[in-house]
Amino acid sequence: MARTTHDVLSVEWVRLELLRTAYSTRGGLFSRMDPRVVLAWYLLMALAPWFTHSTGVLALLFALGAVSVALARVGPLVLGLFLIGLLGNVVGLFAASFLFGGDLGTLVALAELNLKLGAVSMASMAAFVSLDPEKLSDALLWFRAPELLAFGVSYGYRMLPILVDEYVTVFEGQRLRHAPVERPGLLGWRVILQWCTLAVTAFYPIMLNTAKNVRTTVEALETRGFTYAAANPVGRRLRLASLRTAGLDWVVLVVSVVAVLAAYRLGALLPL
Amino acid sequence: MTALPPTLAVPAPAAPSADAAPPAIVVKDLSFRYPGTDRDALRNVDLTIERGDFVAVVGGNGSAKTTLCKTFNGLVPHYWNGDFAGVVHVDGVDTWDSSVAELSSRVGYVYQDFQNQLVRPTVREEVAFGPLNFGHADHRERTEEALAALGIAHLADRFVWQLSGGQAHLVALAAVLALRPEVIVVDEPVAELDPARAREIYLRLRELNTRHGITVVTIEHHAEFVADFARSVVLMADGAPVWHLPVQEAMDRHGDLRAHGIPAPDAVALTAAVGAERVALDVPSAVTVLREHLRPAAERSGPSAPVPGPAPEPAPAEVVASLRGVSHGYRGVDGSLSTVLDDLSLELRAGERVALVGTNGAGKSTLMRLLTGLIVPRAGTVAVDGIDTRTRSASLLADHVSYLDQHPQRMFLKDTVREDVALFPRGRKVPDAEAIVDRILTEVGLTELAGRDGRTLSGGQQRRSTLGIGLAMRPRLLLLDEPTSSLDIRSRDDVTAMLAALAETVRCAVVATHDMDLVAAWATRVIVLDQGRVLADAAPQALFARREITGRARLTPPQAARIALELGLDPLPLTATALREHLRTVGPDPTQEH
Repeated sequence: MARTTHDVLSVEWVRLELLRTAYSTRGGLFSRMDPRVVLAWYLLMALAPWFTHSTGVLALLFALGAVSVALARVGPLVLGLFLIGLLGNVVGLFAASFLFGGDLGTLVALAELNLKLGAVSMASMAAFVSLDPEKLSDALLWFRAPELLAFGVSYGYRMLPILVDEYVTVFEGQRLRHAPVERPGLLGWRVILQWCTLAVTAFYPIMLNTAKNVRTTVEALETRGFTYAAANPVGRRLRLASLRTAGLDWVVLVVSVVAVLAAYRLGALLPL
Repeated sequence: MTALPPTLAVPAPAAPSADAAPPAIVVKDLSFRYPGTDRDALRNVDLTIERGDFVAVVGGNGSAKTTLCKTFNGLVPHYWNGDFAGVVHVDGVDTWDSSVAELSSRVGYVYQDFQNQLVRPTVREEVAFGPLNFGHADHRERTEEALAALGIAHLADRFVWQLSGGQAHLVALAAVLALRPEVIVVDEPVAELDPARAREIYLRLRELNTRHGITVVTIEHHAEFVADFARSVVLMADGAPVWHLPVQEAMDRHGDLRAHGIPAPDAVALTAAVGAERVALDVPSAVTVLREHLRPAAERSGPSAPVPGPAPEPAPAEVVASLRGVSHGYRGVDGSLSTVLDDLSLELRAGERVALVGTNGAGKSTLMRLLTGLIVPRAGTVAVDGIDTRTRSASLLADHVSYLDQHPQRMFLKDTVREDVALFPRGRKVPDAEAIVDRILTEVGLTELAGRDGRTLSGGQQRRSTLGIGLAMRPRLLLLDEPTSSLDIRSRDDVTAMLAALAETVRCAVVATHDMDLVAAWATRVIVLDQGRVLADAAPQALFARREITGRARLTPPQAARIALELGLDPLPLTATALREHLRTVGPDPTQEH
């Protein structure tokens, strides 16, 4: 079979999708908002489904989640993983219950849990896809999260692309230098097993390399006043001074509150 | 080449206006020992650095250059606690009574591995990080000012992982500058950058020094940069300065420098060879001096200087790899397709030593990855050993071609060097794999260190380990990405010599590099890539003689070649040793003594 360059579903594509998601390069409604309001909005949407057992209300909240995902322009990788997870769950549970003598009724009974999880997951996707590292870190700082957590989040994002690159290099080295399996076996299980082994062992050099590299980082943090800032709150105040809410923030928040209340009201009337 | 004023005209250390000001840094009777060691790293150091000076700290590996510079911003003794005796005054402040935080606004420090110094996702945030932490209300002005001073305002909204090495270094520098320090310490800018990029950093440092009056201290192995940019030189050996002299006097003592593992730049070595009273520090002044000592052309073609005649046209050797009409590109984060290689056709033949040169993004790495079969082109065909890379997986192609990554530590998959070298032959059940591994470890001079983890070795040893890994794959085609980057001169010469010895084992070797000294010393064929196309394909001698090509591809030929070009020599000598043949010299060639 001739090899070609794939633009989707390749390692390179996964890498790009991770970056697009982490750095919210697709734009979307929530990425234009104040990060604190986005977090508040997220709290609202993530908590709302837990106060009801009505399938109708949950269906509406699920629909609300779907709308937010569309507004936030969530990318195909994250969305795909979500769908696989959700559908896999539904199909799996249904198959299990069918084997033990259940029928379509079981599916309805399971709908409540799946709708709930789906609504919460979609709100999470919409919110975190829209927050770039800097915004998320500032918002966490504003909500009085520990300094180290806020910094860690932003540093993690900064390291992500570099670690992904390094992982790809190491993994390619693994593939080139380990002998390919001689007989693939049934459904190529030996190939899959080798692939998985190499994918896991590729983490070992990266961890050692990173441990070595961060020595400079720790020293540099010292010279750039990181520990100084922990003891002196002036820096925090300056950093957060740039956070501003605008009309859009309040409109989105109010509309969301109204929509959630409406879902509770109308959902009960739905014949589900 | 940049138009620099002849260095002879550069004022002596410490600009006259600074005479009245107190020195920037005074070190008195300083000794320091790292915890857990039984030897002093620094021993009785006495050193004064004047305000407004541009100091180069030079010295061999382990001469404690970095430790000395870490005393300036208080990392020693406040971060690295150890036995500390003596006094360091920075700007009149005793560092013992101060703190790293306080001293950091006086002394900025840019690390050798500056990439690890960047901690924020975007450039603007990175530069503002220090001022924000220290609670400077004018952090915005400081950020803009630092970015503007280094000419990188256009990068402000980039993510740090999008930056090239040179840009990342400037960002690290800007982040330090935003604290408005009076002294900036830069640890080996050339180590992780190619020479052209490093020169840009030095030009910026010179501007900060002359225009903004900032005292600059650099740790440097490459004497060429020292001669070109420094005002004074500190030679360190064994934890103490041997001397601290104005740059002209320092270069006049090139014998001392060489004795401490710092070979003199070609301009210095050549003008010294013709017996000049004061050695020349840069190309223009060297040319002025050397022109008077040129031998007449007739005298040169004697037996001592054999001029290679036009080689008889040999029968073309067997093709090891070929590319036909190859185009390739990558998707960006925004989904657009950027073209990296554009309708490229090449043939690599047995016995060739190919250097692949060009600016970052010219397509060197992509070309190499195509040859390994890790990726296949969007259009055209790549064949290695007659095998179309589309028809075989990369792991099967690894029997024919091996690729050595630019970062040696990414190639250490096992916990000892020996295991790493043995991985490929053992896995492929090569008969007498162990004997091969033993032989290769001897060849790369690592038998003693074979039991160590590659990560714990020095830069030069790491490169040699990766060479060993590559050789153990016994490829027909060996690809090396930047094999001499981040090496000091001595390890670089080691690696270059080892590459030259490869010829017997490998049919064809391709090196992607920015290092023109390596190109001059090793390559038989240079392929210049520019915007995805072949700009030139020639022997090094022919290439370096063509200014329009070197200018366009931003290549800086070795200093000896630049001098020879100015002198109008033809054929062009590429190394100082070759150029000496054209000169009336006094005394033997000192570089040949070792």
